[in-house]
Amino acid sequence: MSNQESGQTADTLLAAWIKSAADFWGSTLQSWSKYDTTGDGSSTGEKSRTRESFETVFNSWQTLSSVAGDPGAMGAFSNLGRAMPEVLSQMVQASWKSYFYLQQQWLEKGSRIGQSSHAFNFDNLDKETFKAWTEIYEKEFQQFFHIPQLGLTRFYQEKFNASLDKHNRFQSQFAEFMHLIFLPIEKTFKVLQQQLSDLAGEGKLPENSNDYYKLFIKILEGHYMSLFKSPEYVSTMAATLGALEDLMTARNAITQDLLKTMAVPTQDELDELYKELYQLKKRIKILEKEKSAH
Amino acid sequence: MEKPKIPVDLILTKLAEDAEKAQARVQKASDVLLQELDTEIAQTPYEIVYEEDHVKLKHYQPTKPVTLKRPLLVVYALINRETMLDLQPGRSVVNIFQDHGVDLYMVDWGYPARKDKYLTIDDHVNGYMDNIVEFIRTKHQVDKINLMGICMGGTFSVIYAALHPEKIKNLVTTVTPTNFDTDQGLLHIWMKELNADRMVETFGNMPGDFMNFGFLLLNPARLMIDKYVGFMENMDNKAFVENFIRMEKWIFDSPDVPGETFRQFVKDCYQKNLLIQSKMEVGGRRVDLKNITMPMLNFYGKYDHLVPPEACEMLTRKAGSRDAQDVCLDTGHIGIYVSSKCQREFAPKIAAWLKKRDRDDKKRRPKKSAAGKVKSGKAAAKNKPTARQRQSA
Repeated sequence: MSNQESGQTADTLLAAWIKSAADFWGSTLQSWSKYDTTGDGSSTGEKSRTRESFETVFNSWQTLSSVAGDPGAMGAFSNLGRAMPEVLSQMVQASWKSYFYLQQQWLEKGSRIGQSSHAFNFDNLDKETFKAWTEIYEKEFQQFFHIPQLGLTRFYQEKFNASLDKHNRFQSQFAEFMHLIFLPIEKTFKVLQQQLSDLAGEGKLPENSNDYYKLFIKILEGHYMSLFKSPEYVSTMAATLGALEDLMTARNAITQDLLKTMAVPTQDELDELYKELYQLKKRIKILEKEKSAH
Repeated sequence: MEKPKIPVDLILTKLAEDAEKAQARVQKASDVLLQELDTEIAQTPYEIVYEEDHVKLKHYQPTKPVTLKRPLLVVYALINRETMLDLQPGRSVVNIFQDHGVDLYMVDWGYPARKDKYLTIDDHVNGYMDNIVEFIRTKHQVDKINLMGICMGGTFSVIYAALHPEKIKNLVTTVTPTNFDTDQGLLHIWMKELNADRMVETFGNMPGDFMNFGFLLLNPARLMIDKYVGFMENMDNKAFVENFIRMEKWIFDSPDVPGETFRQFVKDCYQKNLLIQSKMEVGGRRVDLKNITMPMLNFYGKYDHLVPPEACEMLTRKAGSRDAQDVCLDTGHIGIYVSSKCQREFAPKIAAWLKKRDRDDKKRRPKKSAAGKVKSGKAAAKNKPTARQRQSA
């Protein structure tokens, strides 16, 4: 009972507030109409656009005011207000359900990652790590960067996503390349350690620090020669170059779009111009030679 | 008392001595580095006698009376700069040629810009080189000139001599790759896996710094570590520092290589090895090495890790010349030019070789009578060099 009484009190107050606001703005509009007789100065005597907009809003407010006077309508508004928390909680529930669904998908992806890493041989963990990461990235993450985009700016968004993808690919490839580059240094220290302990056992340890350095450099040079001739290094080098080229191409595409917006000639446009110039010059030289031959 | 196997005390004493020496060296080095150093290269005066786009032709006047009828045109590679031939007084191939009375011309390929990315090997050989040769021929009123190529410039010279044998009197090639089907050099292994098309599409011209990095990677232990350790050990020596800085200036002065030239060089030479098989096409014309009938002198370095002997020595066998000579020097790729010892050996040898063939040309001029023709033919057969010689200096 007290709830009903409080609800009725709220409805009444709301109706009274709406009515008083309508009365206030209505009197304001009337006084504006009294002083604004010239309108926008046109021969048709049209009202100013501001006043027209204001009148439109005021008419809507007046309609609301008349509705507020109807107890049934106000009751409906009150019910809406009471139903709002329930509606909101339904919306939140739906959002949570969607999130949990996505989370489940991510967990499934994670379990698939675990399955794919088991396939690799852990004897050569360093080398396999790069291979595993590349495969995981290509299977599980790369697809997000290739989701088709929508809207007017879809091409730019796709180019940006593609550049992010290429960047990630390059980073992993470069890391693998640098790992290979530093491998001879690690091996050299191990071999040097072994050789020095052998020399120490024989009592032939060099006294001069320069001799240690020369030994180190000689071993290091040998290791690099072996590495650089290996098919593994050559293929990694080629793959790293390829990844760098992909990244540069993707980055250039974005740069060119940006330059176009600033009315600056792009590299591709200049290259076309250069090609035309080159062909023109070549043609002129041939013609000059033919002319001098005659 | 038994002598310890690890002479720790001696090692530590040596370390202490080395530290003291290093400290003295550093103090002196700071004086050396802060004073005025003479590190300029390519100081021999020359005249620019011909220009076309970025390409210039330098003319070095001989310091002694001219002894060759025909001038010598030197064609350097597109990688690095021809200034290596004139590092400093006392270490200058240019000066040696001048002192032997050689009228010397040298091609300066300049610094290609992005607009030069479409320049092909044909543009370099049948364009720039041919125009330069025509200029020299006209200026000196000679039918033929002497041509000398270095590294990739030698490859261009070989192509030019095969396509225009009527314009070349004698051909000298130094550390010139012509046979690319070898695994003896790392470059040859790496280039086979390179996607030249992708590289040209991405980079346009091949950046000089990128290629420098690749060359450093060929032997990082020596070129990135040992070289600078050697510098630090000698940086209190002013002459050493000046020489070192000059070399650094030259070695990292790398122009970009025009994209299309790079593309064809990698694909046709490194990957398909067309040149030595006489299957390479330049400007729509097949480069037939049998057309190289003029005398040839082919230098290469025994310890050359960039252009190993296997990449150089086949040329004289494949060319049509019957006066061809291989000379293998005990040096590396650039040692042949920067080592004063090698310069003193090979540059005078080239001058003497050219002089001999300059004179021989006059003697062998055929007489007009039919009997004379037969006689001179027999005489020519008698005097002709028989076998190709290989010698180590």
